[in-house]
Amino acid sequence: MTIVAIPRAAGWSPMSEPPPAFDLRAAFDEHGPSLLGFAVNALRDRPLAEDCVQEAFLRAWRARESFDGERGSVRTWLFAIIRRVVLDAYRARDRTPQLVPQHDAPEPVTSTDPLERIGIVDGLAQLSAPHRDAVVAIHVSGLSYQEYSQLTGVPVATLRTRVFYALRALRTALDEVDPTP
Amino acid sequence: MNDLEPDRRAELIAAALSGELTPEEGAELDALRVADPSVDAEFAELSALVGGLPAVERWDDVAPSAALAARIAAIAADDADAPAPAAAPGLATVPEPAPAPDDRADAQSPPAAPVTPIRSSRRGLRPLLLLVGAAACVAVGLGGGALLTAPRGAVEGPPGTLGAIEEVDFTGAPASVDIDGALVAHTWGTETVLTVDGLAQGAAFTVVVVGEDGAEYESGAFLGSAVPIDCRLNAAVLREDVAAVAIRSLEGGQIALAEVPSV
Repeated sequence: MTIVAIPRAAGWSPMSEPPPAFDLRAAFDEHGPSLLGFAVNALRDRPLAEDCVQEAFLRAWRARESFDGERGSVRTWLFAIIRRVVLDAYRARDRTPQLVPQHDAPEPVTSTDPLERIGIVDGLAQLSAPHRDAVVAIHVSGLSYQEYSQLTGVPVATLRTRVFYALRALRTALDEVDPTP
Repeated sequence: MNDLEPDRRAELIAAALSGELTPEEGAELDALRVADPSVDAEFAELSALVGGLPAVERWDDVAPSAALAARIAAIAADDADAPAPAAAPGLATVPEPAPAPDDRADAQSPPAAPVTPIRSSRRGLRPLLLLVGAAACVAVGLGGGALLTAPRGAVEGPPGTLGAIEEVDFTGAPASVDIDGALVAHTWGTETVLTVDGLAQGAAFTVVVVGEDGAEYESGAFLGSAVPIDCRLNAAVLREDVAAVAIRSLEGGQIALAEVPSV
């Protein structure tokens, strides 16, 4: 991969709108739930997931001077950061013996390829809630469209269409993520 | 058939992916496939994607707690107190800032954490053990004391001053063990800064902050090293409520204790 550095001044003039600055609280209000959803479902450990979210925002805060809203959205930037934090936490937990009582142990995550699973969770976290709920109901929980329609009151045809576009969005999200950074 | 409404095309593919096509819909989709080869390609791509979804097992909808919101808000607030916000409890800190925003930034290698933390046990008997800490440690070599001597900023003041370094004396350590310690008061809790030399290499040690009411707050853990190490550990208790800091072996034996003044 070739990375080309673009001078910050390029394409910007005093007459144009300045790029948005990083607003910590606003970013957390807007993106915190999605980031936490990703971390919780990737790690299955709420306290560790919250630590990851805090660490991600801490790193973002420390790097706020370098944030350039013209190069990517805050949401994309934060997901890139927390992806690394979660993977680091996952790997650290995976190789570190834990003295945890059985009843308090994190739930085991079963998968032949944990990184692939975390990548899918990452993509799901970036979907809208209705899209994610529909995909999870049909393709994770195994409900039929008819059953999910009865639960939600949404017509089957609408749910089918919703799932199709959600899967498209999920595929796009996964295409944009290198699962093995 | 290739002039079907896009939603009908989507509907048929979605139904096929879950194996729910009726015979009539199956015939309709077959006709569409003949007229539009992209249907097969898209079905194959989405089918592969769907095949990986059961690995997720379930999705837990969660909302950030007020406590997490407060921790995030404290990052900015703490920055005003002191220039070096502490790492999240439970995670080894990564000193390097995140890279500049870039939609492909995730393709870059993550910075390596200096030391793998040991997650503390979550014994339910201890109060307020919500934030399980771990040490962010670095080996400093023979020079030692980097954390204690490096300036953190211009914050100075008596014990309890937010962001100021408050040196504390650890006593009771074996003669072969050298411990320099300090506390830093934060809005979100109390940070313990240690430079430790002489503890058994590879053995695990915990740091516990003891409250004035006797409650204990686990602050994190670290491994003894052949070289002096610097550690920063966080506890979810305000400095004004701290009476002492203890370093213990993993079995609970006390290695050293620092009693701190009331503030």
